[in-house]
Amino acid sequence: MTDAPPGIDLNADIKLDFHTVSLTESPEVEAEIRSLLHDNGLDLDEQVETFVVCREKGRIVGCAGLDRDVVKDVAVAPSLRGTAVSLRLGSVVLKLAAARGHHDLFLYCRPDTVQWFRGWAFYPLVEVPGVITLMENNPLNLPRYVETLSRERRPGTTIGGIVMNANPFTLGHRFVAESAAKVCDWLHVFVVKEEAAEFSYSDRFRLVTEGLADIANVTVHHGSRYIISRATFPGYFLKDKAAVEHGFCGIDLLMFREHIAPALGINRRYVGNEPLDATTSSYNAAMKHWLSEAPSASAPIETIVIERLTVDGAPVSASNVRALLARGDLGGVEKLVPPTTFAFLRQYQQAGR
Amino acid sequence: MEIVKNAIAGTLESSDVLVKVSPSQDGTVTLHIQSEVIKQFGKQIRATVMQTLEALSVSAATIVVSDKGALDCVIRARVQAAVLRAADAQDLDWNVL
Repeated sequence: MTDAPPGIDLNADIKLDFHTVSLTESPEVEAEIRSLLHDNGLDLDEQVETFVVCREKGRIVGCAGLDRDVVKDVAVAPSLRGTAVSLRLGSVVLKLAAARGHHDLFLYCRPDTVQWFRGWAFYPLVEVPGVITLMENNPLNLPRYVETLSRERRPGTTIGGIVMNANPFTLGHRFVAESAAKVCDWLHVFVVKEEAAEFSYSDRFRLVTEGLADIANVTVHHGSRYIISRATFPGYFLKDKAAVEHGFCGIDLLMFREHIAPALGINRRYVGNEPLDATTSSYNAAMKHWLSEAPSASAPIETIVIERLTVDGAPVSASNVRALLARGDLGGVEKLVPPTTFAFLRQYQQAGR
Repeated sequence: MEIVKNAIAGTLESSDVLVKVSPSQDGTVTLHIQSEVIKQFGKQIRATVMQTLEALSVSAATIVVSDKGALDCVIRARVQAAVLRAADAQDLDWNVL
């Protein structure tokens, strides 16, 4: 943003009208927004549910998308850069989000516009150079979370980390954790917290805890907004392979490397190889790149892929378990999950889901 | 006054300040200030926010302040508004404010 010459009010002649639009309700606005985004080197994000638009003489000169607690697709017409339009737009977005109950927000922007969004009271969290930066507007949240995690730090030279959705927890998850725990001094397991899976977070977390209870050197951690959440990794929940390849998973993985792993001293990340789910498969491939090869101020983390457990010649996966369950094949389910998960699934089935 | 929910007041525009108030995590006041004039007026902004909280009897809260060069009276007004919203206050004693 440029400064106004002294004594000149840049906003004096600009009459602006701010309002919110839902793209599904007003498709005719979509083309106009797309064109403004295009002028700013951005594409329309399909997850954005609401746009705040700013009109001058009927023409859209500014827009900002809101996807629950994530702000994306912010653009201002070139002719109005350097005016207070951006700050007014930001104020409207923050108020709209607050009215919807979202106070602590994330924001995606191009790395070269970070300075601009500092003016919106956002702070950078992590950057995929030249592609995208994730920011948030509460500078206290991440340090607080990292501090909480660091209390769970354990001594040792080989500290492993696994992030799992466990939807639901299977013998496959168990096998990866068991293999990792055998060679690590300590293993930290995180359960994805986002409620986008068939099974609720509290059920998934409980089954992971129960399923790993007999392994002494494991801590099961609650997930957070900073690990594979709608904010750090929107593509995972869309199951959108393109989004994964687009560098979005770089944000999630660099977040892990730069903030979460250092808190716990994690220097190895374990994953099961993924023959079935395309999204998870691309994520695993990207993992090696972002955790160790990509330039970063933080130490590299070794990615270790564990060959997936097979039962009767077929790889064990949570998606298989869900498919068997949908067919009512409890016998098939029982072969793929530990007894703790099976007891839960039997009840779940009987309760009619 | 007890902070029971999240609330914001103010704007991002020049000469204003945006104040976010949320419940305390540890029973104390945690205050974070970002300001374009932090070097010149950081201490004074902090003092103004703390005095306003004291006048409202707020002893536990998380406050995030994004200042764009607001005058003290503006800072006081924005902190008051955010706190009153976050405290769900109904009966107000305007004399103490």
